[in-house]
Amino acid sequence: MANTEYHVSLHDLTHVFDDGRRSLTALSSVTIDVPPGQFTSVIGPSGCGKSTLLRLAGGLLTPSEGTALVDGEPPRKAQRAREIGFVFQDPSLLPWRTVAKNIALPLEVDHLERTRELPDLAELLDLVGLSEFRDYHPYELSGGMQQRVALARALAFNPTLLLMDEPFGAVDEITRSALRYELLRIWERHGGPAGRKTVLFVTHSVSEAITLSDRVIVLSGRPGRVRADIAIELPRPRTEEMEQTEPFLDYAAQLRRLLKEDAQ
Amino acid sequence: MSIQEFTQRSLRSILAYVAPPAVLLIGIVAFWEFYVDWRDISIIVVPPPSAVVERFFENPDFFWKEGGYTLYEATLGLMFGSSVAIALAVLMAHSKLAERTFLPLAIVIKVTPLVAIAPVLVIIFGFGTTPKIIVAALLSFFPTLINAMTGFRDVNEGAHSFLRSVHASPWQVFWKLRVPSAMPYLFAALKVTYPLALIGAVVAEWFTGDRGLGLVIFSANANLDTPTLFVAIGVLAITGVTINIVLSVIERRVLFWHESVRSTTT
Ligand SMILES: Nc1ncnc2c1ncn2[C@@H]1O[C@H](COP(=O)(O)OP(=O)(O)OP(=O)(O)O)[C@@H](O)[C@H]1O
Ligand SMILES: [Mg+2]
Repeated sequence: MANTEYHVSLHDLTHVFDDGRRSLTALSSVTIDVPPGQFTSVIGPSGCGKSTLLRLAGGLLTPSEGTALVDGEPPRKAQRAREIGFVFQDPSLLPWRTVAKNIALPLEVDHLERTRELPDLAELLDLVGLSEFRDYHPYELSGGMQQRVALARALAFNPTLLLMDEPFGAVDEITRSALRYELLRIWERHGGPAGRKTVLFVTHSVSEAITLSDRVIVLSGRPGRVRADIAIELPRPRTEEMEQTEPFLDYAAQLRRLLKEDAQ
Repeated sequence: MSIQEFTQRSLRSILAYVAPPAVLLIGIVAFWEFYVDWRDISIIVVPPPSAVVERFFENPDFFWKEGGYTLYEATLGLMFGSSVAIALAVLMAHSKLAERTFLPLAIVIKVTPLVAIAPVLVIIFGFGTTPKIIVAALLSFFPTLINAMTGFRDVNEGAHSFLRSVHASPWQVFWKLRVPSAMPYLFAALKVTYPLALIGAVVAEWFTGDRGLGLVIFSANANLDTPTLFVAIGVLAITGVTINIVLSVIERRVLFWHESVRSTTT
């Protein structure tokens, strides 16, 4: 592992989707450095390239220009070391597998180095509160429960980096708010000896971003550029009551203003 | 749910599926019997159902045996045609070049009338089992190819990305994701191709027959033995229906997770 200050380094990332007939610039010169253990949210209008940014960071896409590094190396290296846990907007579970087997899926892909201790299945199920549902199939679960399975699946390798693309986008508002605090609890509890996991979290929700994050990055409309980079200096653990406090509301107003200016 | 309750429920659901078509069938047969009698239609033109049933029971073993040959040839042909189709589909799902290469050829096979191929096959392969298997294989090839190709590609985008993000090999993606995703398509194909393979075998027997229901139909027709002709058709129909029922039962077990099955069970 190269010795770098940052866990994730995105430098001057530009990404162009080109299928030969049309070309579309999704991101333009985006630079973001994320230190280890930081919870960073990325917020921005629809279509501004948030998912693209996450896929670049996770090595699912190769940037047209610029570099994406994880631990100072190309993300594919981190993939190989199973250092990356992805959660997508739609739970993307395998419907023919039970909850337990879905969570164990990444472990079946193993056969490479096991450099760190892996949480066992019971522990993971317990962590996301689904112990009783281990033998259920996804279609027997609610959307929120499915999303928790996806989270447990992403944690199966005990990765140091979590990439979450609007993981709660498809669930109702009440469940969504509950999941938010549950994620925080898991994140605070599920640290390794190396400390807490680094999280890159894409969201549309201003309050979600503030509640969860140490830092919120606002992207402009397409092509996405970094428009603002705001540190959220609220004490942890975060609580629901905090959402009514003045600093929280100030952050919310600031973010809304930034997003609105961009829409004009 | 108790065992008893379960049995009751499944009995009721079987009844719900079987009763309506059974009533319809009985109605048709009764009308047919009555009509033939009433209009005094010659047995050479249309035999009454009673004569057909009688003919069957004169020598049921004969019909089952000939049906068995046809089923055997059709099954071998189906397995052969489907295997080649699935193998090609794997290639085509992974490579646009393979798709561009093979798809036009596959379409040529699809649009070529089988009846035109059969005599050629006789010249090439003689009168044995081979030409029957080949006709059955050719008929089951195209639907399997198209469905398998669609199925292998129709994978959940997020699940695919997830597997890639943990560095799964293409091989693992294939077995853990593509194959299960393709199963609904393969079952749908099978429900079409098995009857097609049966038809293919019968048509081939017609031309090259030394045995099988195709030969029975051919010679009964030549001898104006209409009851035998009808029995052969009936045995063919029963075989087809049985195959479909068996496939549906297996499908319900294998695809318990798929919308197509779940939407009909509750
Ligand atoms: N595979 C692709 N091929 C072509 N264009 C793409 C592809 N993926 C994304 N795009 C385009 O890139 C732009 C950014 O897409 P992206 O999915 O990253 O946006 P997003 O910020 O995640 O949007 P949303 O908030 O709606 O999820 C969009 O205009 C989209 O149409
Ligand atoms: Mg997106």
